[in-house]
Amino acid sequence: MTWRHPFRSLTLRLTLVYMVLFSASVGLMLGVSYLGGVLRPLQAVESQISRESEALLGVYASQGRDGLIRALNQRVAGHKGRYPYHVLVAPDGAVVAANLYDWPAARGPEWLRYEFGTYATGAEEEHETVVRDLALSGGYRLLVGLDTEDLDEREDLIMEALSWGAGMSLALGVIGGLVMTFAVSQRLESINRAARAVIAGDLSGRVALRGSGDDFDQLAATLNEMLARIEGLVASISRVSDSIAHELRTPLTRLRAELEELAGEEDPADVRARAGAALEEAGRLQSMFEALLRIARLQSGPTPAGTRVDLSALLDDAAELHRPAAEDRGQALSSDVPAGLQVEGDRDLIFQMVSNLLDNGIKFGMEGGWVDLTARSVEGAVVVEVTDDGSGIAEDERERVFERFYRARGAEAAGFGLGLSLVAAAAERHRAELRLEDAKPGLRVVIRFPAA
Amino acid sequence: MHVLVVEDDERVASHVVKGLKAEGWLVDHVSDGREALFRVASETYDVIVLDRMLPNVDGLKILQTMRATGDSTPVLILSALGDVDNRVKGLRAGGDDYLAKPFAFSELLARVEVLSRRKGVVQETTELSLADLSMNLLTRTVTRSGTPIELTTREFGLLEYLLRNAGRVVSRSMLLEAVWDYNFDPQTNIIDQHVSRLRQKIDKDFDPPLVQTVRGAGYSLRA
Repeated sequence: MTWRHPFRSLTLRLTLVYMVLFSASVGLMLGVSYLGGVLRPLQAVESQISRESEALLGVYASQGRDGLIRALNQRVAGHKGRYPYHVLVAPDGAVVAANLYDWPAARGPEWLRYEFGTYATGAEEEHETVVRDLALSGGYRLLVGLDTEDLDEREDLIMEALSWGAGMSLALGVIGGLVMTFAVSQRLESINRAARAVIAGDLSGRVALRGSGDDFDQLAATLNEMLARIEGLVASISRVSDSIAHELRTPLTRLRAELEELAGEEDPADVRARAGAALEEAGRLQSMFEALLRIARLQSGPTPAGTRVDLSALLDDAAELHRPAAEDRGQALSSDVPAGLQVEGDRDLIFQMVSNLLDNGIKFGMEGGWVDLTARSVEGAVVVEVTDDGSGIAEDERERVFERFYRARGAEAAGFGLGLSLVAAAAERHRAELRLEDAKPGLRVVIRFPAA
Repeated sequence: MHVLVVEDDERVASHVVKGLKAEGWLVDHVSDGREALFRVASETYDVIVLDRMLPNVDGLKILQTMRATGDSTPVLILSALGDVDNRVKGLRAGGDDYLAKPFAFSELLARVEVLSRRKGVVQETTELSLADLSMNLLTRTVTRSGTPIELTTREFGLLEYLLRNAGRVVSRSMLLEAVWDYNFDPQTNIIDQHVSRLRQKIDKDFDPPLVQTVRGAGYSLRA
């Protein structure tokens, strides 16, 4: 949000809406008091005049002109409440009786409401009256009215209040709206600033919290969490690509060296040897890429529907496959696997997982020591453990060894550093829990497959 | 031997065609799915190397069409989609073997040669032999120069596969697949250790050595 387009701003629009609603409610309140304080009393006055004028008409009919004049005078003398007004005009236009100071010369509408002034006290006194203008038999004209100056004053007061109220609420609305728009735009602008910093490449940018815990603070906290996650992901991606570049350098350099020397060889036997060595380097590179691709696919692809895998047979096969390698290092590879264990999953993938773990156990176990492969069923879940008697993995490295290319201390020269990453990716794909434990001495890798 | 290579990537195709020709194969190459269907229907091949992703007609579609019309020519599926699911899909569609790109030519050659043997009449042999080494599949005994040799079940399986493919190169993952029935690229030397144990038993006290290591490719049993 910027001040360049204030009318596009949501907050300003909201303010305008509130302003209109506020003014309308002021108007409504005053309207109600106008109805109760002015209109209703006016109706009461009219009905009183109706009653009185009907009575006067009756007097005129029975007692004639002089009787009516008496009745009019009595009405003034004995009045309670509103001051009564009357005018009686003869057919020739002569005023027979009147205590009103002003009236229309000719008959118009039956009901009139008008103001007039009196100067009884020297100063002008304002009066308002409601009058019924009647034609009597014999050509006489009778005006009967009551004073309504109080209602007029009340009406003026309400009108005045309405204009002031509306003006004030509009003014307050505008001021409040501007203040609110400014405050909200400041909060939004701080979020905007952080977002722009991130777009510009500074992933460490965060939205400042005000500490009030309001909606904006909560939004900012959520955004900050999102930014932290993005920063973490980007960092891990760049770490992996850094590692890939770094890991590629050595085999590529060796490959190049072999090829350069191959170009200079004359003897066919040497050419063959060099070409073979170059092919082996290329093969290693290819293996590394395949492993990386495989990990990436395992991490990103959808989980395929697994099949029921006879885990007991699979573990026996894995132990059997690795036994010669263990024997070459003088290690005893023992397996303790009950028959009939089953898990849901990808048979080849589980085999590769176990194979990688046994391979590590043999590689990092003591020469002449032992590697143990065990499996058991625990509350429906199947727990597979591979334990060696090597130097284990320090606690602070146990998470990191699952990262691609990370090699634990003391294992810097061994392999690509992808074996455990693949195990982790494969475990995740099987929704299996993977844990490293201290076997004192040595390492115990625990895979817990969910109940099939 | 006649092989059809269906591959749309010119670079990969020329590498494969050249390599197979150098090994004495008669090679046809098409790069388009529709043309492949036509060729398959009109000619007889010993082996077909089939890329999965092709212009016009998908490789798997070609395979399914072939199998539906009763054509049982062995097919090696080639694909950059070297994941387990794709392998299973390819094999289910009627493929005989699956090779993920990027691959080593030696691996492709080994697989093509093994496949070409399948086309022939499957002789129900009870006896396999090479030079003075012989294997009886019924009694499950092995002798060399008349001397009985004790082998474990796996060693027997290894030797049987090598004997059935005598003279051809077999890769480590082919051995893992054929003998252990697991499919993945063993990046360590686990298979080598099994082969070296087999060697100890059949080659150590005899001459000439039969198990040959083919650098960068695998093993071959040769007299």
